[in-house]
Amino acid sequence: MNRRTFLKVLGSGVPVAAFSCRDRREAERLAAGESVNPSELAWGKAPCRYCGTGCGVEVGVKDGRVMAVRGDEKSPVNRGLLCVKGYHLPAMLYGADRLLHPQRRLPDGSLERISWDQALALVADKFAHTLATGGPGEVAVYGSGQWTVFDGYAAVKWVKGGMRSNNIDPNARLCMASAVMGFMTQFGSDEPMGCYDDFEAGDDFVLWGNNMAEMHPVLFSRILERKRQKPDVRIVDVATRRTPSSQYADLYVEIRPNTDLALANAVLHLLVANGAVDRAFVRDNVVFMRGVEDLEEIGYGCYGEQAERYVFKDRGRPSSFAELEAFLADYAPARAAEICGVPEEQIRALASLYGDRGRGTVSLWCMGVNQHVRGTWMNNLITDLHLLTGKIGRPGANPFSLTGQPSACGTVREVGTLANRLPADMLVTRPEHRAKAEEIWGLEPGTIPAQPGYHAVDMFRALARGDVKTMWIQTTNPWVSLPNLHRFERRPGDGRFIVVSDIYPTPTTDVADLILPSAAWVEREGVFGNSERRSQQWEKLVEPPGEAREDAWQIIEVARRMGMGHLFPWPEDDWHEPMWEEYRRFTLGTGKDLASYAELRAARGLRWPVVDGKETPYRYAAGFDPYVKKAKGVHFYKAKAYGERAAFWLRPYQPAAEVPDEEYPFWLTTGRVLEHWHTGSMTRRVGQLHRAVPAAYAELNRADAAALGIGDGDRVRLRSRRGSLELEARVDGRGQPPRGTVFVPFFDESVRINELTLDAMDNISKEPDYKKCAVRVERA
Amino acid sequence: MAKTPAVVRAERRLYDGAPPVIPHQPLGAACIACHDGDGLAVPDLGYAPPMPHAATAGMSALSHCQQCHVFQRTGERFRDNSFAGLRQDLRRGRRLYGGAPPVMPHPVFMRENCTACHAGPAAREEIRTSHPERRNCRQCHLEERLSGGFQRP
Repeated sequence: MNRRTFLKVLGSGVPVAAFSCRDRREAERLAAGESVNPSELAWGKAPCRYCGTGCGVEVGVKDGRVMAVRGDEKSPVNRGLLCVKGYHLPAMLYGADRLLHPQRRLPDGSLERISWDQALALVADKFAHTLATGGPGEVAVYGSGQWTVFDGYAAVKWVKGGMRSNNIDPNARLCMASAVMGFMTQFGSDEPMGCYDDFEAGDDFVLWGNNMAEMHPVLFSRILERKRQKPDVRIVDVATRRTPSSQYADLYVEIRPNTDLALANAVLHLLVANGAVDRAFVRDNVVFMRGVEDLEEIGYGCYGEQAERYVFKDRGRPSSFAELEAFLADYAPARAAEICGVPEEQIRALASLYGDRGRGTVSLWCMGVNQHVRGTWMNNLITDLHLLTGKIGRPGANPFSLTGQPSACGTVREVGTLANRLPADMLVTRPEHRAKAEEIWGLEPGTIPAQPGYHAVDMFRALARGDVKTMWIQTTNPWVSLPNLHRFERRPGDGRFIVVSDIYPTPTTDVADLILPSAAWVEREGVFGNSERRSQQWEKLVEPPGEAREDAWQIIEVARRMGMGHLFPWPEDDWHEPMWEEYRRFTLGTGKDLASYAELRAARGLRWPVVDGKETPYRYAAGFDPYVKKAKGVHFYKAKAYGERAAFWLRPYQPAAEVPDEEYPFWLTTGRVLEHWHTGSMTRRVGQLHRAVPAAYAELNRADAAALGIGDGDRVRLRSRRGSLELEARVDGRGQPPRGTVFVPFFDESVRINELTLDAMDNISKEPDYKKCAVRVERA
Repeated sequence: MAKTPAVVRAERRLYDGAPPVIPHQPLGAACIACHDGDGLAVPDLGYAPPMPHAATAGMSALSHCQQCHVFQRTGERFRDNSFAGLRQDLRRGRRLYGGAPPVMPHPVFMRENCTACHAGPAAREEIRTSHPERRNCRQCHLEERLSGGFQRP
């Protein structure tokens, strides 16, 4: 714009002084007649950076910057639609405080900019020193379900194959570990048999503790569209508070916290009593199992000795249908109704829905079931409902676990960036699995240790104790997201060394000794794997800012400096494809076969197993899964331990680890909101999203608020046995908890609600229960 | 002095193609109560334009407005941001020849109800149709696909 046109703007009476910069730019542009046609941008494909749905986006780039995204109409996941986070994706890259350079913490607490060479040498030196002095048990890597497959693969190879440690675990332990253990204990292989096609094939959709309208909005749109086209489609919302999802439900079942276990057992009770069991299916495809149920032995992972180390291991033994019938006697609808606090008719309605053979039922769940002190049990029970009725392994009838992070499946679960795992469902505890990994990685037999490392919560407990001394955290923000945060606070001079790779400053980089700037999303090449087993590849589309580099590169460079360069023998400018093809060898022939890199480049994602270039919508299902040779029905061919049948687990109801009492009379439940991604480090930097939900709040029931003299917008103080904080009350907001419950979202780093939560965990998956602890609510 | 409609439009969007934020506070009514049909003139608030999403194929775009459109509860930013987005293309749609109906210069997806933006009180002058009575817009105006012309396979 030249001076004359600017004066013209002034002359036209536009009040420039009252304008923000943005307004002025816009006015200048309009006066100058500038405009850009979308066809002048270069458009590339990528999956969305945020949730596990894995929407396809087209990314518009001009002059090295992302200028727009649009929903990819060619993507079978989202068919052109996005949610508000996805539409506002590009601004996530351009926050003014992006981390641009490696920075080292000085003794006075300030940060000093250093070169990559210095930074990488420092990391290598710290890890090597700790290995030499304390051994592989004192180093740790804490990773992420937002890692690309490359980041996760480089990390697991370096930690397990290079440093000979199993101390690698991800934030996904806090998120979907219970679903992993659900699928592993029942099918001998992780991840769902169903897929998103179920949304157009199902008749009834049951949400178990899952606010899908906010957390998986695009998938929820597919269900709503199904209902629009087929009005007899029903949505059931089983929940502990009313959410935007409840508005769309035909049946809203409001249960007391943790009583979903009793509810599911009561439904099983009725299915058996009403003769709704698919006996032929059960006879041919199901075995019955029962595990440890002694509450004394199991505990909650947060009391007594378990508060330092939680290593309970379930022991299964064969059970039977006859034993199941006796077991279910405890869950007659009248008794369950009392436990759950729901009318008996609602339990009967659920049972008739699951028992109706003429209708396809899809069960959906996410954090309400996974972040649960008996989360694996609850996963088992939901799948049990499908096994008993034979509603599994066919279009429109499946239990389907939704994931929260973009590559919780692709990176964490498939690559196996967990303390006990190796790629493609393999375990470090199995000699033949270690041998296979050592063979593919070209390592000496015996390199990979057999003892599992620390799961996430125990890893940070070990760090606090000093049993872990050197830790690298990538792509996650544990100083906001860990439960019972106060116990993990760092003390100056604690002798630990913590490296944090991220894209923005967070409470986690605030406690780091070394901060490394990472490349984000389309600033690097990557692959994510979404909830329906779809691997989605994208190319690097823009340069990262400053000196930011991708996480995998950081790991590879540190490994090289530790003399472990043989783990990454690929050219420095072309290592993604060969790394993928090496990783892919773990999967071929196992039923988890991944597509070749060339196939992924060309596709809008492919769902594994991919055999002969063909993807698999429904696993274990004849006619869909190439590993099933039968003409009809299902074959659970991965469940070797159960004679290639699925395991039905008998699982009882047990109460939560902490329940409200006189001193702390409210349940505290925590969660997310549509507008923010997890701890908010990305979405809060997008103006539209921050302005929509600028701060955390405490959602209260109207009657509770009135009794406490609290109005909408008043300040309240929440207090638990572990901490207390002040925030704004919300009454009659978008969610409405029942009396005696308060809900707080966890995205706000200045209201760290996890200072109040309890580090109780699922007994099998070791995933924390963020949904239940006891608090007091007061006017502030 | 009022801002031009084009500036107002740009202010409500991160970039051209992003869903606009909701420019008013929650009113306690369903969005569809005002943003349907031909829109609604609301006393003291102004004209509520109808939605442009008419039966967007297969994704039930009408059923959950706040999936994409959010209220703004503060004027503050958490941190500054230097994103500069795609801006609206104000050039006219191309014509095959003078007098031919112009092709649409933007995709139709999510904007199936042309009159929401091109007719009625909310339509900006520069994109207002001269013939709002002819409701079947796509009889004459084609969607310009960005992928180029026909090629024999």
